Amino acid sequence: MQPLRIALTKGRLEKTTIELLEKIGYNCDEVRNKGRRLILPVGDNDFEVVLAKAADVITYVEHGVCDLGVVGKDTILEHGSSFYELLDLGFGKCRFALATKKDSDFYGGYNTKTIATKYPNVTRAFFDDKNMDVRIIKIEGSVELAPLVGLADGIVDIVETGSTLKANGLEVIEWVTDISARLIANTASLKLRKREIEELQKKLEAVTG
Amino acid sequence: MKKYLRITPEGTKDFLFAECAAMDDVCGRIENVFKTRGFKRVITPGIEFYDVFSLPCSGIAQEDMFKMTDNKGRLMVVRPDSTLPIARMVSSRLKNNVMPVRLYYKQAVYRNNPTLTGRRNEFMQMGVELIGVQGLRADLEVITTAIQAVKSVANDFRIELGHAEVFDALSDELSISEEYKEKIRQSIEGKNYSALNNLLDKLQPCRAVSAIRSLPSLFGGEEVFEQAREICSGTKAAQALDYLHQIYTSLLALGLGDKLIIDLGLVQRNDYYTGIVFTGYINGIGDAVLSGGRYDELLSEFDMPLGAAGFAIDTDAVTLKALSDGGSYSDKPDVLVFAEDGCEMQAIALVEQLCGEGKKAQFSVLSTLEETQAFAAQRGIAEVRICSR
Repeated sequence: MQPLRIALTKGRLEKTTIELLEKIGYNCDEVRNKGRRLILPVGDNDFEVVLAKAADVITYVEHGVCDLGVVGKDTILEHGSSFYELLDLGFGKCRFALATKKDSDFYGGYNTKTIATKYPNVTRAFFDDKNMDVRIIKIEGSVELAPLVGLADGIVDIVETGSTLKANGLEVIEWVTDISARLIANTASLKLRKREIEELQKKLEAVTG
Repeated sequence: MKKYLRITPEGTKDFLFAECAAMDDVCGRIENVFKTRGFKRVITPGIEFYDVFSLPCSGIAQEDMFKMTDNKGRLMVVRPDSTLPIARMVSSRLKNNVMPVRLYYKQAVYRNNPTLTGRRNEFMQMGVELIGVQGLRADLEVITTAIQAVKSVANDFRIELGHAEVFDALSDELSISEEYKEKIRQSIEGKNYSALNNLLDKLQPCRAVSAIRSLPSLFGGEEVFEQAREICSGTKAAQALDYLHQIYTSLLALGLGDKLIIDLGLVQRNDYYTGIVFTGYINGIGDAVLSGGRYDELLSEFDMPLGAAGFAIDTDAVTLKALSDGGSYSDKPDVLVFAEDGCEMQAIALVEQLCGEGKKAQFSVLSTLEETQAFAAQRGIAEVRICSR
């Protein structure tokens, strides 16, 4: 049978996941010396690791070409649709926040507010919950710039330490939600390969606490 | 310049030759199962009034339907599902029919999925509905038909069973809003343990809360019942659980072994299903290929309170799998029959004779032998026969 295939979000999440896999006893030398390869065996061919961009991890898992995936909750909230979210891995922690220029009265007045963000779906859902009409503008790069140059009244973005916001005279006025890395599974895979997936999930659960 | 002259709309495709052969094969096997089990085919219109699908229990989001208006300005949709139109049909055309009725359908449904996800917006579905009856026998009939249908097209499959009332009974014990209940349901459906825990932590701890907390992890074989019984004892869910166990025990006679799974976290379309629910998976297909269950309240929406159960199979997914498994759906003839001038009818008779003998023979419509031979070589047809005076 083909080994389980796990899609990892390239970069920081990938590194921490590999450390976790090593901690539970899998040999990840091939991944550490990956060169330019994108599909790598782990342990004694126990499973395969695929390296992909965050949103693509979801796509691969959803279509069932990867059985499992490790991806941030931010990406799940923005792009997610149908898969199982099995485990909060507890690393990659940060938060979504609504931020504005210091001392501006965001909720005051009756005019429709403009929000700049890299996460239009998260932003839409957040303001829908408040029954608030907002104009959302998608920005690709540094979102902090938008309120400073007058494009937007506020931003919805990921905040880790808050130092970028501070340096640009912005402040968090509301926390949207907490974010961390999650283990996700394809719906059919969990049913067809229950035992293998549960075993790995339990081992990971034990080391993530 | 006509910009969209040569492409099909997103989420649709043409089916050619081997693809059609594979589809015919897959649908044929399933149809054979349905027919031998006594189900009779119905066809419903491709377009329906929006009202049929806007029922609160329909479980189909407004934005997922293709809509248009008729010449009176009434809102119409391109059929996004077959069960609701069948419920409409039964409540009108079959109102005075002897119940129960066994129906099956084989028709495409249409969904307006988000772009660039690779999902199909048009897909063929086959399914059955057993309407006008409730109880163990009816449920067994529908589930075993589903298993037989999946078996007819795949060897490596799983069928999972659940019961809509397990979750309904447990969540009814909590005094929470419908919205909150829906959030809990979604997190169970997605086996999203962390979201579920967050939601439940906000509630007063009680028996039902801890039972709901464990629902998504309650899937597997017989052992699930022992765990679940402990958790659900003294709640209304226990009754549903006993019934599910009864169904499961009956199905053991089929000797499916671990191909049969119990999943108490099976809570999809929970407003719609009222009893037993089930889904089917085939190895190599990343999504459920079959889903169904008992929906005893739907027909009341059409003023005809009748018990009903059924399921649908995504035959396009099964067809794709059959093709990628390299099934032989060759459309190539074995023999090409060329007629010299004046011998055409003789050649056509020969083709008929060869086909009667079980060979794939074809009458050459090209005018010279050279062209016929060249065509045969290009298509890799092994034999060219010549009819002459």
